Formats: sequence, C-alpha cells, structure tokens
Amino acid sequence: MNQTKEILKTIGFTMLSIGLFLVLWTFLAVRNPDFLPSPLICIEKLGQMMGRPISRVSLGGHILSSLRRVLLAVFFATLIGLPLGLAMGWSRKVNAFVAPIFEFLRPIPPIAWIPLVILWFGVGEVSKVFLVTLGAYVPILMNTVTGVKMVPPVLLNVGRIYKASNVQILREIVLPAALPAIFAGVKTAVSSGWMIVLAAEMMASRSGVGFLINRGMEAYDVAMIIVGMCIIGVVGYLISIVLTFLERRLCPWKTNLE
Amino acid sequence: MSDNVKVQVRDLNKSFGSLQVLKDVSFDIGRGEFVCLVGPTGCGKTTFLRLLTKLIEPTSGQILIDGEPADPAKHNLAFVFQEPSAFPWLTVEQNLRYGLEIKKRDKDFIDKQVDSVAKILGLDKCLKAYPHELSVSMEQRVVIGRSFAMNPDLLLMDEPYGQMDIKMRYYLEDQVIQLWKATGSTVLFITHNLEEAVYLAQRILIMTNKPTTIKKIMDVDLPYPRNIADPRFIEIRKEVTDLIKWW
Repeated sequence: MNQTKEILKTIGFTMLSIGLFLVLWTFLAVRNPDFLPSPLICIEKLGQMMGRPISRVSLGGHILSSLRRVLLAVFFATLIGLPLGLAMGWSRKVNAFVAPIFEFLRPIPPIAWIPLVILWFGVGEVSKVFLVTLGAYVPILMNTVTGVKMVPPVLLNVGRIYKASNVQILREIVLPAALPAIFAGVKTAVSSGWMIVLAAEMMASRSGVGFLINRGMEAYDVAMIIVGMCIIGVVGYLISIVLTFLERRLCPWKTNLE
Repeated sequence: MSDNVKVQVRDLNKSFGSLQVLKDVSFDIGRGEFVCLVGPTGCGKTTFLRLLTKLIEPTSGQILIDGEPADPAKHNLAFVFQEPSAFPWLTVEQNLRYGLEIKKRDKDFIDKQVDSVAKILGLDKCLKAYPHELSVSMEQRVVIGRSFAMNPDLLLMDEPYGQMDIKMRYYLEDQVIQLWKATGSTVLFITHNLEEAVYLAQRILIMTNKPTTIKKIMDVDLPYPRNIADPRFIEIRKEVTDLIKWW
C-alpha cells in the first residue's frame, strides 16, 4: 500500500515538473512569439514534419541517420579504446608510451578537428563518423584504464595462486572486474557522441537531426529548431534507458548491488 | 625424505631492505596434517604465507613440496585470504568451479567436487546467488569451498574468520575440520586467536617477534570435535598463551 502511495507521489512530482515547465514555456512564448513558439505550435510543427519528408527523408529517417552515425562511432571508439585502455591499465610500459600522446590529444575538442577532417575526408559520412569517434573514444579509454587499475589486488592474487596464465587473468579477472567502469565509459561515449553528431551534421549534411536544426535556422523556422532539440532530448533519454537495461544484463552483480 | 612429509621449509629468510622479517625458519608439515601458525601481531605471518605461495620470493632458503621446490604451476596450492576474495561477477557455483576450471580438470570431476563441497558448507541452496547477495560469513564459505574443491596439495588460510563473531567462528571451524577430513588436504592455518588454534590444529607453530623464527612447535593431542571447556584444552591454550607473550 505504502509502495503504491510512493509511486503515485513520484508520478505526481514528475507531472508537476513537466506541467510547470510547459507553463513557463508558454508564458515566455506569448511574450516573444517570434523568438520562441509555444509548445502547441511546436507540436503542430512536429505533426507536419512527421507527415512530410524533409529533403526527401522522413523524420524517422533523419533520427536513424544520426543514430547510425553515433552507434558506428561508438563501435569504432570501443574497438580503439577498450584494448588500448586494457593495455595501458595493465602495463606500465604501454601506459608510459601512450599516455603522453593521449593526454595531449584529449583536451582538443572534436569540433576543433572539423577543418582538418573536411580537408582529409570531405563532407561525407566518413568525416562525421570520424569526428564522433574522436569524442567517443576518450571516456571509453579513460574508464577502461581506471577500471583495470582499480581491480582489487586480492582477486589478481587468487588468479596467480591458481597459476592462471596472463591471458586467463586478463580475460577472466581483469575484464569482468573492470566491466562496470568500462560500461560507464561507453554510456558517457554514447551521450557525448550524440552531442557531437549534431555539430558534425550541422557542418554539411543532407540528413540527421543536426541537419533539421540547421534547416530550421536557414529558414528562420524556430519551431523546427525546437522540435529538433526536443528530438535530441527524447532520443538521448531513450538511449539512456536502453543502456541502463543493457548494463543490468551485462553486469548483474553490479546493478543488483545498487 | 619420509613419504609422510608434505612440506619442508628449510632456513627460510626474508628481508625487505634492511628489515629482516623471517630468520632461519625451518619446519616440516606432514601429509594431510592440519597445522596452525600463531604469533604476535605484525610478526610476519602473512609474509610467510605469501612466500609459500610464491607471491613473493624468499631472500634465501627453500620451500619443498613433495621434495620439489614449491611451484604453483606444478603443485596444487590454494589460499584463503583475510579479506573476501570471491569473484563478485561469478555466482556461488561459478566461484566454486573457478580453480578447477583454470586447471582444466574434466567436467565430471568438477561437478562432483563442487557438489560435495557445496553440501558440506551448506551452499547447495544458493548456488545461483552472487556473492553480494550473501552475508560475509557465507561469502567466506564460498572462498573456503573454492579452495577445498581443488583438493589442494597445500591449503593456506590467512585468518579467514577474522571478521566474524565467535558463534559463527566455531560453526565455520567445525565445517573446515569436516572438509579437511573429507578431502585429506594438508592445511596451514594462520590465526592470532589462540583458542582457534587449539580448537583446530594437530600441531601449533608458535612464532616470535621480528625477526621471526619458530619459538616452539606444540602437539595438540585432543580428539575432534574439541571441547573448549575440557581441562586439557584450557591447559594447552594457557601454555600457548605463555609462549606467545612478548610483554
């Protein structure tokens, strides 16, 4: 009974927060309709965008375009960040070799790479995926290094006493022990990838959510810009739910603990 | 070498820089024997166990198992650490199987060992649970089970019950005795609890302060299960206490 009460209370607070947000939005929109269309106008715009392709691509197609770029980039970022992070966390020599270059490259935001990337790869898909990969590999690599360094020594000693080979220790002890940290890195990579893809799409693109926002800006269609922004928020939220579900499946011992 | 001797420790020395921790330690452990090692806090008991498992190398001296230099690759060693060391990402059953799978033993043997150890330790009802779902004592039982399942040549236990209350200690001590008898393993058990040593051991090695050496080896000629109120038990415990006093 108490639990039902608590759930109802939580739902109540959520509704209240969304309601207040919409009221505030409407209030501001009424005062400046040219700069900020009201929620109703945005919903109307969304309906239009769903019914009519933009630049010959449906709204779903634009969302899928952006998602495909992010997921491809996270895949490549994991391909680079995971083995490199494992090696850096495991071996001081590898860490000494790679860390200086990594620390030098890390603070350069992916957006600063745009001119070079256009010069090297043009404005096609490769350049967009490359840019997102540049931003996504950093949290994966950093979290993997930290995860490996944080493996409790007692667990490594268990493997050593049983005379597990280095490969067995790495695969059966280090990797699972570091998995929650690695997964947190992947989660951050997906979120930051989702942010970078918009910048990449805004530079030159015929599809994607970034393209929609850019199109809205060019046409001075503020409602389209806001719909694009809302799509970013909703898709980002859904991605976070999917990743949390995946984490529960992959690291049941960790999520149960929480 | 007598066939009954499992472990021979000869003139073992260990120094860390200028600090000598162990000095000329020599003793034998018989095959299938249960030996407890007691000594003042900080005398180097844990260092000694780490030497036996080759986690660290001695400065000089020899450790022989079955007449050959101790080598985890060749000998079947197991270690129960003070701190919980069950793998959090493996279920109880997977933890119990871990050592045997690393050694690539055949599946039937692993099934049999795990089944028998789980039953003795009362873990058969929670084989699918993860360690964090268990109490500390249950988790330590998983680690003890993982070690005994290996049928180790030598099982080293480093104050495994340090974090438990007295009732749980006696309960687990009885289980260890049961497992030891069932598997015939040779056990070297470190403790700072003298009553625990007298309760468990066939022989007690009493160590001195640093640089540590063996002060005395005492036989405990009491039948199992032991009664802590038995006058002979109390007498042995007092004798050990007197020997260990450094104040």
